[in-house]
Amino acid sequence: MSNGIYGIEIAWLDAVIRLHIIVGLMTVVVMGLIYVERKILARFQQRLGPTRTGPAGLLQSVADGLKLVGKEDLRPRNADPWTFELAPYMVFIPVFLGFVIVPFAFGMQVRILELGLIYFVATSSLGIIGWVMAGWGSDNRYAMIGGMRAAAQGISYELPLVLSLISVAMVSESYNLNDIVLSQSTYPNLLWQPLVLVIFIIAGLAELNRTPFDIPVGESEVVGGPFVEYSGIRWSFFFLAEYAALFIMGLIFAAVFMGGWAWPLGEELGRGWQILLVTIKTSLFIFLVFWIRASVPRLRIDQLMSFSWKILLPLAFLQVLINGAVLVYEAPLWILTITGMLGIVVLVRLIERAVRPQPVTNESTVSIGNESVS
Amino acid sequence: MTSDENVNSTNEEETSEVEVVDSLEDTIWPLINRVLSSVDVTPERGSIDLITRIPRTDIIRALQILKNNEEVQFNYLRCLTAVDNESEGVDVVYHLYSIPKNINLTVKTNLPVEDKAIGTATEVWEAANWLERETAEMFGIKFNNHPDPRTLLMPEDMTDTFPLLKSHPFAEIEILQGELLGYDRETQGDDE
Amino acid sequence: MVVESTPGFETQDLLINVGPQHPSTHGVFRMVLEVDGEIVKDLVPHIGYLHRGAEKLCENNDFRQGVGYMDRTEYLASHNAELSYVMAVEALAELEVPERAQWIRMILCELNRLSSHFMFLGAFGVDVGVFGTPFIYAWREREAIIDLFEEISGDRMMYAYFRAGGLAWEVPGNFEERVREVLVSTRQGMKDFDNLLTRNEIFLARTKNVGIISAEDAVELGMSGPTLRASGVSLDIRKAEPYMYYDQIDFDVPVGTNGDVFDRYLVRLKEMEQSVHIIEQCLARLDDGPIMPERMPRMLRLPEDQEIYVRTEAPRGEYGIYLVSKGGNKPWRLKVRSACLSNLQALKKMSVGQYVADAIIILGSIDIVLSEVDR
Repeated sequence: MSNGIYGIEIAWLDAVIRLHIIVGLMTVVVMGLIYVERKILARFQQRLGPTRTGPAGLLQSVADGLKLVGKEDLRPRNADPWTFELAPYMVFIPVFLGFVIVPFAFGMQVRILELGLIYFVATSSLGIIGWVMAGWGSDNRYAMIGGMRAAAQGISYELPLVLSLISVAMVSESYNLNDIVLSQSTYPNLLWQPLVLVIFIIAGLAELNRTPFDIPVGESEVVGGPFVEYSGIRWSFFFLAEYAALFIMGLIFAAVFMGGWAWPLGEELGRGWQILLVTIKTSLFIFLVFWIRASVPRLRIDQLMSFSWKILLPLAFLQVLINGAVLVYEAPLWILTITGMLGIVVLVRLIERAVRPQPVTNESTVSIGNESVS
Repeated sequence: MTSDENVNSTNEEETSEVEVVDSLEDTIWPLINRVLSSVDVTPERGSIDLITRIPRTDIIRALQILKNNEEVQFNYLRCLTAVDNESEGVDVVYHLYSIPKNINLTVKTNLPVEDKAIGTATEVWEAANWLERETAEMFGIKFNNHPDPRTLLMPEDMTDTFPLLKSHPFAEIEILQGELLGYDRETQGDDE
Repeated sequence: MVVESTPGFETQDLLINVGPQHPSTHGVFRMVLEVDGEIVKDLVPHIGYLHRGAEKLCENNDFRQGVGYMDRTEYLASHNAELSYVMAVEALAELEVPERAQWIRMILCELNRLSSHFMFLGAFGVDVGVFGTPFIYAWREREAIIDLFEEISGDRMMYAYFRAGGLAWEVPGNFEERVREVLVSTRQGMKDFDNLLTRNEIFLARTKNVGIISAEDAVELGMSGPTLRASGVSLDIRKAEPYMYYDQIDFDVPVGTNGDVFDRYLVRLKEMEQSVHIIEQCLARLDDGPIMPERMPRMLRLPEDQEIYVRTEAPRGEYGIYLVSKGGNKPWRLKVRSACLSNLQALKKMSVGQYVADAIIILGSIDIVLSEVDR
């Protein structure tokens, strides 16, 4: 960036100021997201959600935050002190590192990196270390199982996620998020890459440990998984990281697939409009995540793994190959749309084939005597 | 009209004498008598089900026969419990049901107070496992060769006192706490 | 325990204690899982945390008071529990229950089956991992039924409404309309549930072919109720040995084919449709009349040396009362045959070799009520 924020030309100072703005913004956004999630989920479940704290319950997150800060910071006696206490930051920091490249509007990001997408993927997968640390350091068996699950899941779904982003980068011919957004000013990437969009959403859900992939934290099985021993401020760091990750995933979705601020109104827009566009697109993704959370059950760990390795990964590879062929021979891009749609059909078929309902009959399979009784 | 009428016996008369055996023709007694011909069985008319008394030495063999015999096929153990008859010992009661034939049978066996031991019905039905564990801890009955002789509902170490025996005071806890609470142990007897 | 998996590489099985305080143990059940990775290799159930000695208490209270204890043994289907008890007392006391009381009892028992199954559906949905939605769906319908019970008996859970001989008091004047209202919402609720879960791919993937128990094993282990019928055994006491007026009512007994978790879910859902059907027929037959026998003794005393084992089809299976009378106004011995206790015995058989997450939903699919298990 040549023109720094507030006209500051010293590069590191500029970056520090931008990061601070982001961190401050994030805390507000996360609190808003928590409130919105509670409200939306409540609506799905015919409830009202928070209503008592502030007008329409708006201050609920603030109240929650205050409560969490006020709670005692407990550490189990047998927990490994360093691992246990550093784990929340190991989850939290990588998520916030991701914000360095996220474009909110034209010129509104901390830094434009040429390898932006790669940087995002690299930082986001670092978070797994924090999960494993939390699981291992807590000296709790639920936590350990949760941590192991998080590691397995994180690594498995990292690959389809990376491949899906690479597919988009091929079409946009750049890893630079700014360029990717600019390349979509007429047609968004989701038009060329529908299959990749689906894979990205699925893998994104898994990366975020959201339903139906909330296996590491599965409330009904491992009672919160790696977080089970955390309380107070440390626990709230996990929470903060979770929602910040959700927000950043939404922003990436908006930038990579939906054309960020550029589509559909062109790139010459005022900054306010750009931010509004990005917000709407991000909200779309976040709403989708909440919607899924309210309606589907949780997968099992083996199903989760086989779904990633046997279905998502081959399809993602296939898409990369097709992209390569189409781009090398300069075939029209609509071929990609068709193959992508076909890919979605294949994906749905594969899922359908895995499970098929069987009817329950009134017929007994075991011989039973009293047929005379009516 | 409250009870099953299609089953196997009526609930009209009250019978208690052994000589009424002949009048059990309308029940499944003839069938049971034939099946259990090798066992010493005393029938009795129950309220809805036929009750048979079998000595405890024969009980497991009799249950095996009842389960495996083609004519009756009592393949379902409804309930297994015991009744404390104070000086007359403890009755172990098996409620059997035959899913294929839709007939019920109550089998009872008497254990003397001084030697409450009996074979385990887990050899016949797996269902008896927990039921026997519960009966054992509640009545102090020893089921020989039981595969899992731990307590079920009671604390692990509560193996010396048997709550459902009539000799066990109703308000044991209050009595045990009585000294602390200032109650007189004598006045807090059995609630009867 | 140390197992050799690869030569030179020793792995150790992990013991996980699930419960008594755990979100998915439906009360105070505890099981110790021995897991190898995510696979359950052994499961040791521990029960008894909710043992209150209901049987001993009943021995020391008269027959009227016993009803209250029966409520508390099976708090999600109190009417059904009361029914077994009062039927046992009535049979020994030779009380003739008036027709109207019988029909009302049938309606209430079936309604209670509905409310209990709704409870199952909700809790099961949460076990499978949906965040709250099925729970609230189920709660909404259950609430309507519970409200009706409250109007009738004054209580939302422990009704104590059945009496030996009949009912405690007459139902409210708008009983029939209220029941019909509830049935409408129940139908809608069942449909909502069907839409939400039954054909959900993830739900199917999670529940199909999980926790299978064969018909032979189920019978051998003394399982009963929907859990047994899901395995393919069409044993419903309402059909096999009809009590009250079930022999005059037309209904089917849904039976599963696989004996897996999904079948146990679906059998219950189908059973609810049948319950609605039964209640409608009962409503059509409901006439005016007395609700207690004309001549009731002021103090109920049973004849000497009588015993009876009454079994009825409660929502969770066979709820049996073994009542021994030696005269007087108190039972000599009262044994509650708990359906859940017997069903729970099968947990180990169903869970070993499955995943940890499956063990949770298998437990959920048995639909245990710990107060009934421990009594």
